[in-house]
Amino acid sequence: MFGKGLLKGLKITIGRFFGKKSTVQYPEKRLPLPDRFYGKPDFHYDKCIACNLCVNACPNKVITLGTDTVEKKKVVTGYHFDQQYCLFCGLCEEACPKDAITFTDDFELTTYDRNTIGIEFVKQEQVDNKIKEIKQAAAEKAAAEKAAAETKVQTENTDKEQTTNKEGGA
Amino acid sequence: MKTQEMLLNVGPQHPSTHGVFRVVLTLDGETVVNATSVPGYLHRGIEKLVESRTYPQVLPYTDRLDYLAGILMNWGYVHAMEQLMEIEVPERAEYIRVIVGELQRIASHLVATGAYAGDVGGLTGFIYCFRDREDIMDMIEMVSGARLTPSYMRIGGVAGDLPDGFLEKCQKFIDYLPTAIEEYNGLITGNEIFQHRTKKVAPITAEKAINMSLSGPILRASGVNYDLRKARPYSIYDRFEFDVPLGSNGDCFDRFYLRILEMTQSARIIRQALAKLPEGPINAKVPKIIKPPAGEVYAETESSKGIMGVYVVSDGSTKPYRVHFRRPSFVNMGHFDELIRGWKIADVIAILGSFDIVLGEVDC
Repeated sequence: MFGKGLLKGLKITIGRFFGKKSTVQYPEKRLPLPDRFYGKPDFHYDKCIACNLCVNACPNKVITLGTDTVEKKKVVTGYHFDQQYCLFCGLCEEACPKDAITFTDDFELTTYDRNTIGIEFVKQEQVDNKIKEIKQAAAEKAAAEKAAAETKVQTENTDKEQTTNKEGGA
Repeated sequence: MKTQEMLLNVGPQHPSTHGVFRVVLTLDGETVVNATSVPGYLHRGIEKLVESRTYPQVLPYTDRLDYLAGILMNWGYVHAMEQLMEIEVPERAEYIRVIVGELQRIASHLVATGAYAGDVGGLTGFIYCFRDREDIMDMIEMVSGARLTPSYMRIGGVAGDLPDGFLEKCQKFIDYLPTAIEEYNGLITGNEIFQHRTKKVAPITAEKAINMSLSGPILRASGVNYDLRKARPYSIYDRFEFDVPLGSNGDCFDRFYLRILEMTQSARIIRQALAKLPEGPINAKVPKIIKPPAGEVYAETESSKGIMGVYVVSDGSTKPYRVHFRRPSFVNMGHFDELIRGWKIADVIAILGSFDIVLGEVDC
């Protein structure tokens, strides 16, 4: 009979009409995202060792890493993530040996103008703190070394005195 | 009566082209007299772009060829690179590749099936197919972190092991798929209007299909038994039992229905792979900086649209000297303008839909 297939199709759609919904009301309700989801990138300043591996791993030159050498130590002074060119492939995350660059599950990345797409992760105060920390550590280390050297000299001197005394005594 | 031929542009913005594709039709009334296809609206120069990227960095660009089957595109590239560098891929990685690859094939065929139903006027079928495709997209998102651009494969293995809960979800989907296919058959395949629109429309003979070097479901719909997974098994496809469905008439209906049949076979492969999935490493030992020996390689895999070939020339440095992709959609489109001549304008949409082109792949 012609139209049998049509009726069968209608039966399916009517059945589905009373079935469970497959959609959710988006902005209010959200579906769970998997752990591996690549959303907005996140940078952990304290973990970064300024090795440049993420910069080299990126296919699109998204990441610009600024470094400075303070007291023979590398300090990250800038980490610019030009998000508009990001492919969200995760190669930078894979390359990072310290998990300093990760991806969050924030996928709403729309901005009103182009200048706000790029993310500058490093704040000046973070850099200042880090430099201060390093300088302080270096100063403390130097002081400790100096103190150690002095005590060494002192002990050597006392040793010498003792030996001369001994010699004199003999 | 004096009649005049009319020039008509289909596209570049037209829903049936599934992207940006233009066909210039010369019409005599409603009949197509001449046709010229004009691709290139989505050309990004990927082949040139990747020449300035290192070998691992090429991978995210392959996602953007056939963006409905990103994993299969990844596979084509890594398969070529593994042949060039003579890397043996670990067992577990091969099984994972087969599982996600076949899932991706089902997803791609679901889009083809659904979009075809939409093209010929049944938008309900489209929604039903996309509903089930969403399950696969969720699974691909689970393993790779992205829905359409997974970049999941790596030279020598895969990016990450299967996450917890994936196997159960996959098994559940495979068990559910026959019910879904029954629904598609009831909703689309069995519909008389759909059958009238597609049966005996634009048949391609087996001889013609071979001459035009068509591949994939379009070739097999014409009755040519050529599936790379069977004809020249790559990866571990020789270990699975599956059939290659064939069409008999090579018309639009056969091209459409073949994809539904192929979904069942893909599910069969996944079921076997899930049962046999071994433990072990997921990555071969590959040097951190990939420098393949100077030379060239051409490797082919069976993507959802046909034979995906990747040609890589290495000059021994960290960047490829030349990469070329043989994209099945592009090659298949070569027969399109010849095929639509003599058919009515409504058939043009039906024929274009049955080809299942993806413009990211046509233009590259």
